[in-house]
Amino acid sequence: MVSERERIAHVLRRCSMGAEPDVAAGARSVDDALAHALDRSAPVSAPPVLAAPADEEAARDATRLRAQFAWWLERMVAGERPIEERLVWFWTDHFATGFQKVRSPDLMWRQHLTIRTHAAGSFADLLRAIAKDGAMLVYLDGVQNSAQQRNENFAREVMELHTLGRGNYAQDDVVAAARAFSGWVVHLPFRPRTRRPGTEPFASYFVPARHDDDTKTLLGRTGRFDLDGALDVLLEQEQTARFVAEKCYRAFVGLDPDARTLDRVAASFRRDWSIAALVEAIVSSSEFTSDDAVRAHVRSPLEKLVALAQAVGDGAIDPTAAGGVLRVLGYAPFAPPNPAGYPKGKALLGPHRLVHTFDLANAVGGAVDADARGTLARFGCFDVADGTVAAVASAPDARTRTLLALGSPEVALR
Amino acid sequence: MSGISRRRFLAGLGAGGALAASGLGVWAWRRDEEAPAPAAGSTPSSAEVALGIPGRTLVILELAGGNDALSMIVPHGDPRYRDLRPSLAVTDPIDLDGTFGLAPSLRTVAGEYAAGRVAVVHGVGLERPDLSHFESFHRWWTADADTDATGWLGRYLDATVGFDDPLAAISIGAGPSPALAGASSFATAIADARGLRPDVLDEDVQRALLAAWGKMVPDRPARGLLGDVQRAIGETLEARDRLTSMLAGGVRATRPRGGSRPVVLSMRDALTLAARLAAGDAAPRIVYVQAAGDFDTHQGQAARHDALMRQLDEGVAAFLATLDELGARDRAVLATVSEFGRRARENGTGTDHGTAAAHLVVGSQVTGGMYGEPPSLRALDDAGNLVPTTMLRDYYATLLAWLGVDAQPVVGGAPRPLPLF
Repeated sequence: MVSERERIAHVLRRCSMGAEPDVAAGARSVDDALAHALDRSAPVSAPPVLAAPADEEAARDATRLRAQFAWWLERMVAGERPIEERLVWFWTDHFATGFQKVRSPDLMWRQHLTIRTHAAGSFADLLRAIAKDGAMLVYLDGVQNSAQQRNENFAREVMELHTLGRGNYAQDDVVAAARAFSGWVVHLPFRPRTRRPGTEPFASYFVPARHDDDTKTLLGRTGRFDLDGALDVLLEQEQTARFVAEKCYRAFVGLDPDARTLDRVAASFRRDWSIAALVEAIVSSSEFTSDDAVRAHVRSPLEKLVALAQAVGDGAIDPTAAGGVLRVLGYAPFAPPNPAGYPKGKALLGPHRLVHTFDLANAVGGAVDADARGTLARFGCFDVADGTVAAVASAPDARTRTLLALGSPEVALR
Repeated sequence: MSGISRRRFLAGLGAGGALAASGLGVWAWRRDEEAPAPAAGSTPSSAEVALGIPGRTLVILELAGGNDALSMIVPHGDPRYRDLRPSLAVTDPIDLDGTFGLAPSLRTVAGEYAAGRVAVVHGVGLERPDLSHFESFHRWWTADADTDATGWLGRYLDATVGFDDPLAAISIGAGPSPALAGASSFATAIADARGLRPDVLDEDVQRALLAAWGKMVPDRPARGLLGDVQRAIGETLEARDRLTSMLAGGVRATRPRGGSRPVVLSMRDALTLAARLAAGDAAPRIVYVQAAGDFDTHQGQAARHDALMRQLDEGVAAFLATLDELGARDRAVLATVSEFGRRARENGTGTDHGTAAAHLVVGSQVTGGMYGEPPSLRALDDAGNLVPTTMLRDYYATLLAWLGVDAQPVVGGAPRPLPLF
C-alpha cells in the first residue's frame, strides 16, 4: 500500500518539524532518511542573545522575542539537525509555559535555551533544570510556594503532566512534593524585592527561609526532601519512565505501544534517561515504519507553516505575520493555551483551523514551481489521492497550486 | 452515548433532513471508540450529560480584564460604598430596589430589568480566589476543575454532540475560547461576519480556491484518518455555507486589514452576530463572545468604565433588537462572565484585581430579579476583597439549566443552580 518514497517521507515528517523535501526526494532508502534525520553533527548558528531590557515596560514586551522566534523558525525550516528541532518542540509542549502568565520574554527565552540544551540529552537533567526554571516557577506558581504559604500548582502538574500521569499519585503526594519544592524564587529586575546579592537577573535561586525542611512522605518514601530530592523520588518510579516513554512513542510512531514494547523501552530509558537512546530505540522499531504508522498524526499549524516554507524553498517566513496566523490557529509561539500544551489530533480538524490554514500563506511568499504531483511532493506527500491531484492541477497558477496543496487532506497529516 | 441519542439531539435542534443528508454526523462512528476514559477522581469528564432542551442558545459574553461589578451593579444604598470609593463611586445609578442600582449608561438593561427580563446574580467567584488574570481566567474556563485540557463548555460538547456538529458551539473572537476546548469535540471560531473564510486573498481567488478545495472530498472517503480529514473539509465547506446564510444581512463584514492582526468586534457587532446565529435554523447551543473592551481599569476607571457600560448596553440593545427582528426572542439567553471583580477600595484613579463580582443574565425567558447574597462591604477578606457568595460552579449550573442540561458531569461537585429559569 505505502510506497517506498512515502515511507521515506514519513520518516522525515516524524523526525523533523517539516517535510525535508530535498532529502525526501533524494534519499536512497528509509535507513538513509533515518540516518539524515538523526544526525546531530551539522553546525548551527548560535541562538540570538536577548539584550537586557532597558526598563520595566521592555521587561514585559513580548515583541522583544521576535528575532528569537524568527531564529527558532529558521532552525526548523533549515533542518540542520532535524531530530533536535522535533525534540525541542516535543519538550516545549511537554513542559508547557506561556507568556500570558509569565509576562517575561527573558524568562521565556531562557527556558527555550534550557530545553534546547537538554532536548536530546538526559531526561533527568532536563526535569531538574525545568523545575528550577524561572518561567516554570512563575507559570505554575513555584515562586508563591513557601513553607509559610504552600502552593501546590507545580507539584500537581509535575506529577500529572510531566512524570507520572493522572491517577498515579494521591493528594498527600501533591502536598509532600509542594513542601519539598518550596523556597525557589526568581530574580526579576525592576522588582527590587525579588533580588538577592549575587543573583543575576532572571536567574532563579533558593531561599532557605522559605523552604519547608521538615520530613515528608512522598510516594511511600520518607525523608527531608528538597526540590532535587523530591525529583529523585519521582525519577525512581517505574511509572515515570513508562509515562514519558509512552508519550514519546506515540509522538514518533503515532500508535499505542504494545505492553511488551513499552516495558522494554521504558526499562532501558530508566537506566540512563538518555532521550537520544530512547528515540533511537523507538524509531528503529518495525512499528515506526509500518503502514499503520504512516500519516497517523494530524499536522499542527506550526508543522504546516514549516512544511510550506520548505516547499517553497527560498521562502523566508515573516515572523510577525507567522505569529499572528499561529495565534488565530491556537498555536501562538511561547503561548500554549494551558499547562497541558498545544491542541493535538482531531481538534486540529475543526472548521476554522482548516479554513485558516490558507492564511499561513500570509507569512510565506512565493510558490512551488512544479506541476500538481511535484507541488505535493515538496510537502513530503507522494502517495496522494487522485482527487487531490486533480484539484491541485485545476489551479490557474503556481501560487494557487501551492495553497491548494497546503490545504489538502494529505498535507493535513504527517 | 449511543449514536441514536446523538441523532435525536441533532433532530431536536431542528437539523432534520437537510443535515442528515448532507453528512453531518459522520464523526460518530469514530467518536465512541476514541472517547477517552473518564479520569479518576471527582474531575468532571465527558460522562453522560442529558442532551437538554432543543432550540435554546446560551450566549456567553466575556468582560475580559476583570469587570468592576461595583460600578455596574452599584450598592448605592450602603454608605460604606462611598467610603471605599470616595472618588470612583457611581453617584447617579439607575435605582433598582433602593439598595442597588445600575450604572447610568445601562439604560436598556434597566428597562429590561423593570420588565422582569434581567437577573442580577450577586457575589460570583472562585472557592480559592486568585488575583492573576491568567490563572483566574483558566479557572473560569475550566469551571475551576482539576483539569487543564478541557473547558466547561467543551465537556458539555464532548458529552453531547461530540464531533458531530461543528456549529453546535461558535466562538466569536480571535480564536476559540478555551472554555469550549473539548477532548472529543470541536467548536468553530469566527472573527466576524465573514464567517469561515481565510483572511488572505481577494474574493475571486478565494472562491476559486475553495471550489477546488471541495473537489478534494471524494464521494467515498478513504479509510482511517485520511478519510476523517476529507470529511472534515467537506463539513467545513458546508458549515461555511450555513454560517454565511445565518450571518447574512446582519453586520457589515469587516474588511480584512491586510496583515494578520485578528479583527476584534465591538460588543454591539459581536452580540448582533450572536443573536443572528441564535435565531438561525439549527442554531448553535453555545455562542461565546470575546468582544472589544478592556475591563482591566487600574487607571482612569471613572471614564473608562462608563464607556464600557455604554458599549455593553449598546450590545444588549442590539442583541435583543436582532432577536426581536428575527422572531427569536424566546430562544436565547445572554450571560456575562469575567475572570474576577475588582478590589473594594479604590486605588488612585482605578481599582486593583479583586475576587467576587455580580453578573447579568438577560433574556425574555429569564425570571428577573436579584439572586444570591450580595457580598458584604464590611466583611472583606484579608486583602480587602469581597468574599464570594455564589460559587462559580453554581452560576454555571444556573446557565446550564437554561439549556436543560444536567450540570454535575460538566462542572463537577454538587452544583446548586439558582432558580432563574
